[in-house]
Amino acid sequence: MADVRENILARLVAVAASIPGIKSAQRDNVDITEEHLPVAMVFDGDEETNDAGDQSMRPAHRPTVVQMTPEITIIDMADLIGPALNIYRAELIKRVTTDTELNEQIVKTGRHGNGAIRYLGCDVGIAWVRERHGALHARFLFKYVLKPDEL
Amino acid sequence: MFDYSALLYDPIYDAIGVPATLDGASITVIDNTRAKVQPAGSTELHSVGPGAFARIPELAALGITRADYLDAVLTFNGRTWTVTNYDFRGSPNGEDLGEVQFFLKASSGG
Repeated sequence: MADVRENILARLVAVAASIPGIKSAQRDNVDITEEHLPVAMVFDGDEETNDAGDQSMRPAHRPTVVQMTPEITIIDMADLIGPALNIYRAELIKRVTTDTELNEQIVKTGRHGNGAIRYLGCDVGIAWVRERHGALHARFLFKYVLKPDEL
Repeated sequence: MFDYSALLYDPIYDAIGVPATLDGASITVIDNTRAKVQPAGSTELHSVGPGAFARIPELAALGITRADYLDAVLTFNGRTWTVTNYDFRGSPNGEDLGEVQFFLKASSGG
């Protein structure tokens, strides 16, 4: 099975885990304690195609291009939470967009295929718990070829 | 009018209050540290919201006014905290005879 979607998400966990200072990287965990922090959480993203308007006679199992938009949330507690989150953000963007495995083997960007990886942006939430707490939600777009025959 | 300090607050602080120091001054507080769940996008972070109650008359007798509250260092129950904010809990005898609820953040030992 070659499910590009799953391969991307699994690789994102590994990439997030490699960020300096991150204690753990997890997938879709919606219930954590402060002992997990700083944590990077990869959330499975929505997936879309442009095939809704495709009325051609193309066989249903032929390859099509899909776009997935996963989100990676980084949560930490620190007095200077803003600068701390920005350091994580920079490392995250750099590591996701330059990761060799994602670019060359999974998504196949540039000379490796017609896939694409884009950083879409982020939003930040700040609050008080035991200390100042912040969460940065970074959104990415992955464009890749879905091949039903290979699933 | 009842004396709420003598009839209510003082007996309660005698029973469940704990020794504390606020910027070095000895006072009695009631530990108000409680569970706090903070949404972080799709995730919920379980932590605590540290806090404590103190009697305003006790603070005033020590010369501690509301201008001194913010950033004061409060030590009790083996931990040291910094006051980040506060709310007043007025008594029927008036705001100055009520309590102050300190909101805290972790400091050394926290």
